[in-house]
Amino acid sequence: MSLFEKIFNCQIISRLDETGSFALTSQERTWLRAMLGHEAAETAFAPETLSKLRHMLETNGNGERGGDVRDIIIEKARSRERQVYHPLLRPLRRIMMAGGGVSLNVRLKHGGSKIDQNGLPCKLEYNMAKREWYLLWYDMRNRTLISTRLSNIEAALETPLAPELHRELTERVDKLIEARKKHAVISIVQAYNSELSRILYSFSCFEKSVSYDEAADLYRIHVTYLADESKFLLSRIRFLGLRVQVLEGDPLKRRMRRTASWALARYAEAAEDEAAPAHEEGSG
Amino acid sequence: MARESFDKEIQFLRLVALAGGAYNRQQLASRLGISVHTLDKTVRSLKQTLSLASPQLTAEQSTELTEGLRYNYYESADPLLLFLYRAKSLKESESIRLTLLVSSLQDRELSAKDLQDLCSERMPADAPAPDEKTIRGDLKYLEEIGVIIRSDESRPYRYRAANDLIDRLTDDELLDLFDYVDVTANTQVPSVQGYLLRDTLKKALRKRGFQASAADTHRYKYHYHSRILDEAHLYTIFNAIRQRKKLHFVYLAPRKGLTYSSQNTNPLYERESHGVSTALPLRVVFDHQYGRWYLIGWSARTGIAKFRMEGLTQIEEGDAVPEELFEERLGRVLEQLRYSWVTDTLHTVKVVARFYNPDPRSGVNFVRERVEAQGQWGTITEESAQSFRFEIRVSGVYEIKPWLRSFGSSCEVLEPAWLRKAFIAEWKEIASYYEPVRKNI
Repeated sequence: MSLFEKIFNCQIISRLDETGSFALTSQERTWLRAMLGHEAAETAFAPETLSKLRHMLETNGNGERGGDVRDIIIEKARSRERQVYHPLLRPLRRIMMAGGGVSLNVRLKHGGSKIDQNGLPCKLEYNMAKREWYLLWYDMRNRTLISTRLSNIEAALETPLAPELHRELTERVDKLIEARKKHAVISIVQAYNSELSRILYSFSCFEKSVSYDEAADLYRIHVTYLADESKFLLSRIRFLGLRVQVLEGDPLKRRMRRTASWALARYAEAAEDEAAPAHEEGSG
Repeated sequence: MARESFDKEIQFLRLVALAGGAYNRQQLASRLGISVHTLDKTVRSLKQTLSLASPQLTAEQSTELTEGLRYNYYESADPLLLFLYRAKSLKESESIRLTLLVSSLQDRELSAKDLQDLCSERMPADAPAPDEKTIRGDLKYLEEIGVIIRSDESRPYRYRAANDLIDRLTDDELLDLFDYVDVTANTQVPSVQGYLLRDTLKKALRKRGFQASAADTHRYKYHYHSRILDEAHLYTIFNAIRQRKKLHFVYLAPRKGLTYSSQNTNPLYERESHGVSTALPLRVVFDHQYGRWYLIGWSARTGIAKFRMEGLTQIEEGDAVPEELFEERLGRVLEQLRYSWVTDTLHTVKVVARFYNPDPRSGVNFVRERVEAQGQWGTITEESAQSFRFEIRVSGVYEIKPWLRSFGSSCEVLEPAWLRKAFIAEWKEIASYYEPVRKNI
């Protein structure tokens, strides 16, 4: 089995496209068969579909032997999987595809719930760090963009939305997202240049570019992030410790200064038993 | 013909994906250990593949590969780096022929003879009409990789495309399948075959009249895109492990700064050759903290041996070892890895930390949630309304330190004492990074 099969070649793929034809390989089916073993499959399909798929993949077994590659993989430092699928994914994606609006009942943090929240569903978003699904939606009453955990949505009903309004709201959402974007420049502390690869890997989950000053041998990472991602960005910066320093981005710098002084206060406090410093640091 | 290796392409793409924008052509070439001419050639051919594989790319994305592959998260759900797996080189006539065979078998059954006639008729005038042997060879290949199947066992064999997965599903079922493949390819490992399948299902949806936006509803935040590249070696390693075979490779430790070393085919650019390493592959480790892969093996010289997969080049299979030897080595390595936060196998130490709960008014105890979700085999003991204790045995503290530090002032290391001291020293230094600049009086 090779991932570099002739049949995956780009010319073949684009020619198949032109004729509306498909080529499905046994390695893709083997992969799917393995993935259907995940408990998430029970939520993702109607029971008839799931048994149909499993049956097809069993009988479709031409040369599809050779064991499961996952047997040799050990996953480390993974967040416990809270959910891979959520029952609301199927109805919500269908509402989104149909260009509909949505009426939500949302459970509140401190109990109770807000009902009949009218909005435009924008994206279903999986947070890889928290391993949980969110709905990004536009709240029509308050004219804001909101991210709500699917597990906090008690009910979601489709509401009709005129195509013109849908278009208008989508444009507004794009503008809101654009307006939420923030920039920061993070420099790699030169003494740690030998760990460049590790440092760049840990920022590779952000939209970013890198600049390099050859004369000074200095690397700078220019990160673009959305306002609500600053918590996770900060947790990455703390994760790397002395290796990186925020150069531009005052809110991040302020937070880092505060974190360091609070952390030091914790250790001092243990010695002197003074008043507790405040709390912070969530995501990551 | 030598087996086509994608080392150069993989190393190049990793460099631009991770450090996009940092280097000019000369700097890129020198870091890859190739000439600027070779770099330009590589970039040209990759660009061609990219434009064929992802015609919908935005102008910004496709302008200059060397300037980096920038993801605009909300713009597209397609994994950009997947096009690497579409780079296998192929003769024009072969790609026309294979396409013709596969497309002719989409909705009917044909024999080798039928297909040969069809090819003679439909191949472009400047391409030679294939002979029977060529067609049989193609059919054998397509059957082996599972793209076509024989309809029954009576001769002459008749073939059809193995498209049940698409053809036998209703529109609604196909949509569910697309979503499931999308979700699992993005959240589980391994992923490459899933992404390839996702590509095909997306086209199947389009053919049934779904709009392109139908395949664009899901997003995955904080994803490590370059892991797609690192999976390139996964199946080579998997095959070797299954056959209990050793692997020979040139290992480029990421610290050395050089990411690729040419095979000295060009005397003008001859460079110092790197030594060949040999190891018996046993397992691979995927590190979720960075999205990086490791090969864990056994080497005669060092015992347990750990290699970052991104540093493996020029991999070749070697001799097989007896089953008992493999089992023994595997057993020892698994035992050694038992308390590894990722792959460290140093002395086992007990680390104790106190975590502070956030203000209860915030409604969610995100500190507790995260420790429970990510603390691996560590145990939690209740302490007070304000805090809880976390205890874990780990083989070396180097890998757990960043995680503890990422909690900032919500985590206080208690044991061992030297680690506690190290944390205090580090926070002092980090504080010095952000001290307000004093103006000269």
